[in-house]
Amino acid sequence: MSLLALPSARDEAWRWSDLSGLPAIADGQPTGAPRSVDDLWIDTPGPRLLFVDGVYDASRSAPGPVRVGAADANAGRHALGKLAGSTGWTLTLGRDAATEGPVQIVHISTGGANHLAADIRLDEDAQASIVESFVGEGWVNRAASLRLARSARLMVARRFLHESGFQSHADTAEIGQAASLTIASLVAGQADSRLDGHLTITGIEAFAEAGGALLGRKKQRHDAAFVVRHAAAHGQSRQLWRAVADEQAVTSTSARVEVARDAQKTDGEQSLRGLLMARTAAVNLKPELEIFADDVKCGHGATVGELDRNSLFYLASRGIPPVEARAILTHAFVADALARIGEDAVREAFEATANSWLGMIA
Amino acid sequence: MCFDCAQHERIWNGNVMLKIENLHAEVDGKAILKGITLSINPGEIHAIMGPNGAGKSTTAYVLGGRPGYDVTEGSATFDGKDLFEMEPHERAAAGLFLGFQYPVEIPGVSNLQFLRTALNAQRKARGEAELSGGEFIKLARKEADALGLDPEMLKRPVNVGFSGGEKKRNEMVQMGIIAPKLAILDETDSGLDIDALKAVGHGINTIMRRPDRAVLLITHYQRLLDYVKPDFVHVLAAGRIVRTGGPELAHELEREGYGQITDELAA
Repeated sequence: MSLLALPSARDEAWRWSDLSGLPAIADGQPTGAPRSVDDLWIDTPGPRLLFVDGVYDASRSAPGPVRVGAADANAGRHALGKLAGSTGWTLTLGRDAATEGPVQIVHISTGGANHLAADIRLDEDAQASIVESFVGEGWVNRAASLRLARSARLMVARRFLHESGFQSHADTAEIGQAASLTIASLVAGQADSRLDGHLTITGIEAFAEAGGALLGRKKQRHDAAFVVRHAAAHGQSRQLWRAVADEQAVTSTSARVEVARDAQKTDGEQSLRGLLMARTAAVNLKPELEIFADDVKCGHGATVGELDRNSLFYLASRGIPPVEARAILTHAFVADALARIGEDAVREAFEATANSWLGMIA
Repeated sequence: MCFDCAQHERIWNGNVMLKIENLHAEVDGKAILKGITLSINPGEIHAIMGPNGAGKSTTAYVLGGRPGYDVTEGSATFDGKDLFEMEPHERAAAGLFLGFQYPVEIPGVSNLQFLRTALNAQRKARGEAELSGGEFIKLARKEADALGLDPEMLKRPVNVGFSGGEKKRNEMVQMGIIAPKLAILDETDSGLDIDALKAVGHGINTIMRRPDRAVLLITHYQRLLDYVKPDFVHVLAAGRIVRTGGPELAHELEREGYGQITDELAA
């Protein structure tokens, strides 16, 4: 693979990402080293799928309604998403169908690069919840197409926990009338990441939410770029991102709301907040609004700051040493983003992951 | 009997918990405290009253070790140890509790989690065994019950969405669980309705009115002192203690205001 084929900082949408290391990572070979995944399964009923270096491990999976094989992630134009190829997994739920518990998918990488596509289609009134965890080394690249028919509901929670390498994910979603899609992401590993989403509200009264927490330290770079396009009226969207940067890390979020001419009564809200844990770290936040309808409500907020000194003193006055106090307040800072995850067991697992990154004592 | 003499006698007894001598402090380069001398023995409740801007909150913050409140002269010892040599969290572990005028909200962290972390950090610093989750919950429920706080509130994030009264009651629950030797309560009565004021007063009496504990109440108004009877009342003005007396001094101030004292200072 060539650097020339990858976007660079000259492309506005990629200005905060650094993909220059990708060809070298992709040239590596997976080691195939075995790894336990027991700590990654969340204790809930439901289908479980394990992919090792992008290859389905049937012996350690219980796929339920999920099919493994050809998949169209509908990511044709996305610079990384298009590399995801046409094999992976699909989840198709018919009218009124629902999965029993969340579909859990664990992706282990052992080096080199692996790509997978996912295609999720929910028919009218279908309901599903998907939880994905990414661990290991090397470049893991994923693209997913999410299509929700009328009144369908989908909750996606992903945690990116690679120890090294690179993690990229691109979503393309179409959300039909009165359907609801929530995507929550937690980046809490040691590797760089790039998350993209292009969510389109195609039916009236639909709901779309994309958000998450990006936790960076050392020289990590995390970049999340989500667009919610309102193409139909009376839609609601929420984008809530929390970016934390320590040491020399750079965490960035751009969130865009597009409101088409006919999408009257749209209610869009963006809340982007950055937390600088060190003066050498950087946070970039870019809220964008593009509104062509004239009767809409779009709120946006973007703030970057350090931990509140008053709060730190409050914790100290209760006997909590500075390192723990910082961890607790950072946890509090990202808590909003994880609170969107509906199932208690999943949310608690994600909170525990975030806490472990923060070095917080439970 | 002169209260200064009473103070002297207490100091000679050698049983002082907090001893402040000639304390000067500044904030942003501006001198606020200009020579405070005060000693508190175990079993005593002291009130510091004074007009706005006298340095009441600064006194609390300096003793608590808040960054930005710089001691320029004088000393303070707590149980014989130099208070200003200790970090704020070390002061807490040594037994000092600071009640806040505006308790901080911490979204995403439950009261239980916060208090267990705090209590166990203090116990660890003192070389005591940490409490298990079960032991801690029992203790927390007991303290919440004693103060009439719905134990369900302990599961809620720290102070998030609490009314002013609930925040102050929560401070009392924290004090009950932490069980400090000395509580410095900074305008704990501000913004409270009468029920919350009674509850806070009850909390202070129940938790701190013991021969081995002491309280320094910082307040602008006499109201709280109807519920918590102080042994000593000190009037702080322009960064110094200008008068010391018994509980009757608080009533006198309530009747006559601080005008006379500030006039005397100006003269």
